[in-house]
Parts: sequence; C-alpha cells; structure tokens
Amino acid sequence: MLRSDQILATVEMIQKENLDVRTVTMGISLLDCRCGDVEETCKRIHNRITEYAGHFVSTCDAISKKYGIPVVNKRIAVTPIAFVGAGFFRDDFVKIAKTLDRAATDVGVDILGGFSAQVEKGMTNTDLEFIASIPEALAQTEKICASINIGTTQKGINMDALAMMGKTIKELAEITADQGGFGAAKFVVFCNQPGDNPFMAGAIHGLEEADAVLNVGVSGPGVIARALERLIKRHPEPGSLQLDELAEEIKQTTFRVTRCGELIGRAVSKSLGIEFGVVDLSLAPTPTVGDSVGEIFKILGVDAIGAPGSTAILAMLNDAVKKGGIFASKTVGGLSGAFIPVMEDAMLAEAVGDGSLCLEKLESMTCVCSVGLDMIAIPGSVDADTISAIIADEMALGMINSKTTAARLIPVPGKDVGDHVSFGGLFGASPIMPIRNIGKSSRFIAWGGRLPAPIHSFKN
Amino acid sequence: MNKQMIISVMSKDRPGIIADITGAIYQLGGDVADLNQTVLCGYLTMILSASFEPQVTKEDLLAAISHIKTSCKFEVSIKELNPDQDKEDTGPPEETYILTVQGPNKAGIVHGISSFCYSHNINIFDLATTLQNDQYTMALQLDLKNCQSSLAALQQELEAYSQQSGLTIMMQHNDIFQVTNEVTLH
Repeated sequence: MLRSDQILATVEMIQKENLDVRTVTMGISLLDCRCGDVEETCKRIHNRITEYAGHFVSTCDAISKKYGIPVVNKRIAVTPIAFVGAGFFRDDFVKIAKTLDRAATDVGVDILGGFSAQVEKGMTNTDLEFIASIPEALAQTEKICASINIGTTQKGINMDALAMMGKTIKELAEITADQGGFGAAKFVVFCNQPGDNPFMAGAIHGLEEADAVLNVGVSGPGVIARALERLIKRHPEPGSLQLDELAEEIKQTTFRVTRCGELIGRAVSKSLGIEFGVVDLSLAPTPTVGDSVGEIFKILGVDAIGAPGSTAILAMLNDAVKKGGIFASKTVGGLSGAFIPVMEDAMLAEAVGDGSLCLEKLESMTCVCSVGLDMIAIPGSVDADTISAIIADEMALGMINSKTTAARLIPVPGKDVGDHVSFGGLFGASPIMPIRNIGKSSRFIAWGGRLPAPIHSFKN
Repeated sequence: MNKQMIISVMSKDRPGIIADITGAIYQLGGDVADLNQTVLCGYLTMILSASFEPQVTKEDLLAAISHIKTSCKFEVSIKELNPDQDKEDTGPPEETYILTVQGPNKAGIVHGISSFCYSHNINIFDLATTLQNDQYTMALQLDLKNCQSSLAALQQELEAYSQQSGLTIMMQHNDIFQVTNEVTLH
C-alpha cells in the first residue's frame, strides 16, 4: 500500500530542501608507489589514481541521475603523503603535489586530499621536509588539500609541530595573498584525525585502510531546518512542544537523510567494484540560502547565533544527528555530526559580522560538535605564535575529550576587523573575526616538546 | 490439479462481509491464497484468489455466495485462472519508480496521468490518491521495465506535461522511498 504522506515527505526532502549527497570520496592507498626516485614515484602515483578513479565521476553521475539525488562533489583521498614520500625532500613533495593535482584534474574530481602527515608522537626528517613544502605545494596547485595530525588522546600534543603551524599558516596565506590568503583554506590541523573522513580539507586514506575504499558524506542542514519548522508550526500553543520532541525530529530526519546517502554510496561502490567504507552523516552547510547550520540555532530558540544557549543547542543537535545516523547505516564513521565552518555558512558569517558570535564562543561549541575552529578568517596581522596558541587550545579540547578537533584558520593578508573576504563557491565569504589577546602567548609556544597525554587515555 | 479462481466482490460496507464470503469458499472446500480489500466512501471492494477441487465450478461459487443472507447486495465477479498462469510475486523490479502528482482538484487528472503512462508503455503497480482542501495528491508506483524512452527523456516529457496541465509532477526511484521509510532493508 502506498502511503502518500510518507512519499510526499520524501519528495519534499529531495526536491525542495537541498537534500544531497555532499560528497562521495574514494580513498586510494599510495603506499606501494614509492620508488627509487621522485619522478618514477610520481608516475606510479598518477597511474594508481587514474586506474582506480577513471570511471569514478561518470559512475557517480549516472547513479545520481538514476535516483534523482545530486552527488555534489566527487573527491579523492590518498594515504598521508609523508608516509608515501618517506626519504624525500621539500622540492620532491612539491613535485608530488603537482602530480596529485594533475591526476585529480585528469579523472575529473573536485578536490584531492591527503597531502598530510601524522606527527602526534614525533617528527621524522621526512615530516619536516613535508611541512616545509606545504605553502609552495598548495600555492602551486588547485585541487590539493593538506592536513596534519599533531595530537591524539593516546600520545598527547606534539608542541614542536604546533609551534611550526602558526608559521606555516601565515606563510601559506602570504604566498596566496592575491587570492585573499586562500591557501590557508586548504590546510587543516587536527587532533585525533580520523582515517576515513570524506569531507575536505581533512580527508585522508588512513594507514589502516585497504587498497581502496568509498566513503560517503551526506549532508542536509536544510532538511533538518525545514523538518523542525514544520513540527513547530504544528504546535502553535506555547508549551505544547518540548525539547526532546525536537531532538526526536532531528534524529528521525537524520535517519532518512543517512539512508539516502547510503543508498547512493553502496550503489556507486557496487558499480565500481570498490568496497564501501562509511557514511559520514555530518550537517555540512554551504553558503546557499536554506543550507545553513546556523539557521537551525535560530529555529531552536536563540535570536542570535552565539547567544547563551548556543552550545547547549549544538550539543543536542550533534547528538541527535549521531543517533539517527547510526541506526540508519550499517557503517558510520568519519566525523558524523554538525559542522560550524564560519565562512561556509551564510548565517554563521553574519553572526560574526554583527558581533554575536566570537572566537571564544566558537571554541566552546567545538567541545560538542564534530569539527573545530573551521574556515575562520582572522586579521592578516595576527602573529604566528598567537595562531599556534589558538590551535593549541583546540587541540587540547580534542585530546582531553577523546574527540576529533581541528583548526582551519585563515589570516587574510592586508585585512582587519571590519573587512570582508570572499573565496566564492563552496568556500564562501565572511567578515574578519576579531581576535583578543594577540601577541601574549609566545612564551607558551616557545617551550616546545610535548603536552602529555591525559591520564584517562592510559587504559591498559 | 486444483482450480484457481479470482473473485471480486463489491458491496456497502458492514461487519462480517469477509467472514461471509470466505465462509462460502470454505463450504465448497476452497482455500484462500491471497486477499486484498479496501473501503472507499462506505463501500467495500475485495479481490481474492482461492483454489478449489477441479470439479467445483464458477457457478457453484456464485450460487454459494448468492445464498448468503445480507442486507447489502453483493456484486460478484469470478474468473477461473488457467493452470499455467504465472503468479509469482518477486517484488518490484529495478525499474520501479514513484510518481507524485499534486494540483488543484479538477476532472481528468487520473485519466491524464494514466494515459501518459499507457502511451509510454509504463505499467502502474499501485496508486493512492488523497484530496485535502481542494488539493489533489496522487502517488503512483510505476514499472518502467517496458518503457521505450530513456529516463532523461521521460523526465523531460513529464516536465512538459506538468507545465501544460498545471500539476506538480515528480518522479523518483522506488528504492529511495523504501530506504527512508522502512526500518528493515530488503
């Protein structure tokens, strides 16, 4: 028996509420591409990627058409390149980045992530060469995204690496100053980075993975927002609707969204003969109207995003999303929760502009959501040590709370509070975020060494 | 070899209709295999399939049913099935789609859509309609197996039909509705 009401609800979700599969990301191992010299290694890398991903984009498009659900992005994630390029030097890594860029263009994907290293316990010479290559590698390529994991709950935080991050980010922004410092938007610093996150810029094909895998990132903040609005409209009497019912609505809507993503993902996986990995059900906003996570805050009861209650709201939202998604999918992974990337969400950006949302509030919100301080444009004049220290705070949150946190900060050269920056497309736009207590953290950053792992991680 | 019959019954709804009809079948030694019924505007319609001993005839069954004491007259139609008629239920095939149609209520909506399907060699598996505040909604489960047009061409023609008829029409693969509304995946 057909249920018209259920059918119509699903149709609305897809046609009107911006339900989409945000990304299908193919993870490819490059570990055995390492050869005697960098040229041969690059050749093998290029062949490996075209071998696996030759039909990737066309398959995604075909399945997207069959089901009528857009697959917005097709992406590739590779093994953290510092492992692949063990023994290579800075210039070699730039060459590898260019090869990866060319391969991404040849197979037609939007972005390729995995220009990364994992240095939570210590840095090899290769890691140092890799870090040194980041600014030039990202400046000279279009589609490459880079990341680095500098801390874990088990190992603590590598403070030497942390100290380098501020400098790296500043250099990245300076070297791409003509694009508003866009280079820094392609580099994320992580604590507890997952090996199967399909979203950029932090996607990698973890060392623990097999040769290739397909991960799907679903999204749909618009779907959640509209579902909540409908529920609220049906209960106009004050007191007739309680918070747990709203949480339930989020959970059930997330269930449906996740199921759609899994359907597409498994169909692509079957068609390509590549194993299906995980569904990452993250509410990932875009600058498009109606596709905002920030909007959900207002629907759930704060007049300004960043007002008291915002952290509690986000905690509930993040948790409800996880619950609905976990029941919906056989394998859930990646980040899975709510994202708060300032530049990518028109309403979050607006809240920064009118002063309701500050860095400190964002930081507290990262304790309860999936990512961290993401896509935040700061004044170009902020010094490297302050940037490192902001990252240190974010890393500590992740380390202590056994969750993934990250920082993607963009010090926009030549711009200050009151100015705007725009990167266009999915990367969005926002006003410059004011930073307090600039230049007061250098002595802390100068120590180096290690921020020890928390006691609760010693579970042996 | 048992005889298979398809029986269709329509009558004003009252308690006990299914008991009465299946009672008549039972008296004749019949075995009900499948039954589908719906009530619309106070009228019940039922279609069922039952198997009987080979000597039982359509007329025997008609007679048995006409003997039922009932205040509301039964309108009955019976077909004897050929023994080699295929009656497998394998679930919707790969090319099953759900069409939704919405618009202000007016004459000819169902006819128009079903004619569109017919002209494209599309079979309608199931159909449900609702009318609310003069807004007519129709959901159809379609079998595109024998449709000659490509999916893209079909979508375009539906778009054109939608413009011309003033109805909102959308078509989506059946799997989406199944995965989003059912707990257990098949």
